Amino acid sequence: MEIALAGNPNVGKSVIFSKLTGVGVISANYPGTTVEFTEGRAKFMGMTVTVIDLPGTYSLAGNSEDERVATRLLNERRPHTVIAVLDATRLERNLVFLFELIESGHNVVAALNMYDVVRKSRQEIDVARMERILMMPVIPTVATKDEGIDSLLYTSVQMRRSSKFRVRYDSHIEAMISDLEKHLSEKDWGVPLRAAAIRLLAGDENIVKAAPAEARKASERLRDDFRKGHGEDIVVHIQRDRFGEAGRIAKEVMGTAATTRKKTRIAEDLTLRPATGLPILVGVLALMFVVLVFVGGIIEGVLVGAYEPTGKAFFNDLSQQAGNDIASGVIQGLSLSIEAMLALVIPYILVFYIMLSILEDTGYLVRVVSLLDGVMHKLGLHGRAVIPMVVGFGCNVPAILATRVMGSRRERLILAILITIAVPCSAQTAIIVGSVGKFAGAWWALAIYMVLLGTLVVLGLAMHRMIKFEPTGLFVEIPDMRWPSAKQTAMKSYIRVKEFLTIAFPILLVGSVVLETLMALNWLQQIIDPAGPFMNALLGLPAFTVVALVFGILRKEMALQMLIVLAGTSNLALVLSNEQMFVFALVMAVFMPCLAAFAVMLKEFGLRSTVTVALASFSLALAMGAAARAILSL
Amino acid sequence: MPPEITEQYLKIIFNLTEDGGAAKTTDIADALGVAPASVTEMLHKLDRQGFVRHEPYKGVILRKKGMRIACRVARKHRILERFLSDMVGVRGRSGHEQACKMEHALSDEAEHNLCRIMNHPEECPHGRKIPKCEMDIPCDKCASETVPLSDLAEGSSATISHLSSTDKDELCTLLSMGFVPGSQVTIEKKVPMGGPIIVSLKGTKVAIARNRGQILRVTRAS
Repeated sequence: MEIALAGNPNVGKSVIFSKLTGVGVISANYPGTTVEFTEGRAKFMGMTVTVIDLPGTYSLAGNSEDERVATRLLNERRPHTVIAVLDATRLERNLVFLFELIESGHNVVAALNMYDVVRKSRQEIDVARMERILMMPVIPTVATKDEGIDSLLYTSVQMRRSSKFRVRYDSHIEAMISDLEKHLSEKDWGVPLRAAAIRLLAGDENIVKAAPAEARKASERLRDDFRKGHGEDIVVHIQRDRFGEAGRIAKEVMGTAATTRKKTRIAEDLTLRPATGLPILVGVLALMFVVLVFVGGIIEGVLVGAYEPTGKAFFNDLSQQAGNDIASGVIQGLSLSIEAMLALVIPYILVFYIMLSILEDTGYLVRVVSLLDGVMHKLGLHGRAVIPMVVGFGCNVPAILATRVMGSRRERLILAILITIAVPCSAQTAIIVGSVGKFAGAWWALAIYMVLLGTLVVLGLAMHRMIKFEPTGLFVEIPDMRWPSAKQTAMKSYIRVKEFLTIAFPILLVGSVVLETLMALNWLQQIIDPAGPFMNALLGLPAFTVVALVFGILRKEMALQMLIVLAGTSNLALVLSNEQMFVFALVMAVFMPCLAAFAVMLKEFGLRSTVTVALASFSLALAMGAAARAILSL
Repeated sequence: MPPEITEQYLKIIFNLTEDGGAAKTTDIADALGVAPASVTEMLHKLDRQGFVRHEPYKGVILRKKGMRIACRVARKHRILERFLSDMVGVRGRSGHEQACKMEHALSDEAEHNLCRIMNHPEECPHGRKIPKCEMDIPCDKCASETVPLSDLAEGSSATISHLSSTDKDELCTLLSMGFVPGSQVTIEKKVPMGGPIIVSLKGTKVAIARNRGQILRVTRAS
């Protein structure tokens, strides 16, 4: 049995999902799209129920990719029941979405979520009356407190019929609907005839494409006539009628409209005002940075400490027994990959994802997007670009994936370039903090960040000039600020870490094995040797740093350790001057993070763009390194 | 304001002469459902008052003074018919008859607002052209009483009048968020540095880029 969760964004759909399901949660892209949906399993009285969490949309009309995916999933999977998750504090708009679900003929159960907020504002929704009007079960829920979840699942499983409720459009439109119904009656549309007619009238492409030519012509004529008579598209009137009906029902079951709450309002206002919002943003980013470096560092120490005597020792023994250079290279590569995963994924990536999903779920990130939208426009991006950039501080791989939120390919590419070049990922941060920050002082580290920020701005402006186009305008709902749910945060972070692992681990593994094999065969030195004098002349760095730089291509997080190993001392100040360390860290930070980032760019943007970006970032890194050396040696 | 009966006669003559030519007494009598004799009497009266020119055996045409009133009444009639047909669902004979009665009671201001609410309809349900109103501004500028959302100051409220977008996806996205004509919006904040406008609508906050704020035409709340 399958149950689908549908609803507007920010209504607590994902929280309900996380409460309903337990293990076996998977997140997948709908084939051929960038839209993700989640799927999990719930146990109910010995029965396994599959729960599909549809993308949050405001409508099912198929006007955005999210909407198309939601509609297609409903049509293809034909779930037994659709749970319409409604925000009880915004009944009117949520009812409009519910109308569309009912119209489509699904067995719908409504979850009146965030009911506690309604209660807290001393209001009440007459649920029994709402059930009578809508002719379907309505269950008040407080997902964050587990209220009503059991009865929601129970009712959904028991659900056997669809509601007979109909929105009545104005008689002009009703006449058109019955006219079109005649034309459409011969085919099974997967939705009731009425819904098919309404969608055809509104110009829903899914139906328009499949409709017989005669019906298509009739609907076009009706639409044209309507536009001539009213000067407005028919969808405006259809939606207006739906909102009118929703408003009436909301008024009937609720009395007065909900009042706004005070406490969160103040916090919201502060985050949106530049004078206070920008310092708050800097503070939040600084806090994230500190948590990442310190908490991450501690966890890394513990994990790597635990791995050395157990796993590493085991692989060491194994590689000695292998006797063969290549075999031992492979084994060592495997061991290193596991170590890197322990040292990177859990301490940094996981910690970062947890913080990110908290920022998302509280509603703070959307506010940052709104705050910075104007500024981002000047860089040829829109405010939504903030999210991938913030993600980029954790790891560039998911950041490049997150560029999907951008409207066009060009915007995506600009953003991906800015992220790979100018946003230091956690491994790059580790290098900056671990070398320059530790030995040369915090000011030197800060200087690198300032240089990167400058690069970001200059590069963004330059690309905006070169690739001329107007970024699409922002249009986003700002949800109320609220506390995140622990379970949802955990689930989200888990799904993201899993996605990261499936992309990054194979590449990391291959890269490590190749590198170890080259070292075991002593070929690496021969490749690097000729580059030594060149690097020395250009960047003023000793020859041994070349190995660390090359290592950085494959495994950025290993570059620092490599440098220490090659220097023969953990006190880098003995072998490198402050200036040299600065140049080294800067080059590492500007250069494309690692092979995994390269691979994910390849996947998203194709070979040509990726190679161009890689070469550009490589030359830019060297040029900036050389420039920094020249300036510092003045 | 002329008596109702005068308006009624002038409108009928307008209807009959719209496509050119003069109106015949018998046709007027038919349309009004009265005896031709009383029509002739009334036409004499209207001629004396300078509303029409009546030439026996030829027919009657509107003079400038009568044309103005006739246009106004015909316009009200046809807008009302449009309203009754599209929004109330009263059509055909019954719609026509009710519009006939209402047209005399409808004030110019009410007619004007009705016209705007229905987004300046051009034809009545029977396919007849609705005469233009007497305002100096052309119809597309008549919306000048409406302003783009982005012109409003922080803290002010307004009612959405219509959406001026031809991009269907954009239109539908805005609509499904609740930006339908007639809904109330308040400008919460205009984020500086070219940032978006934050609007509250039906208890929800929405950030809209300024250039998109041009699409939403609103009437300021008084």
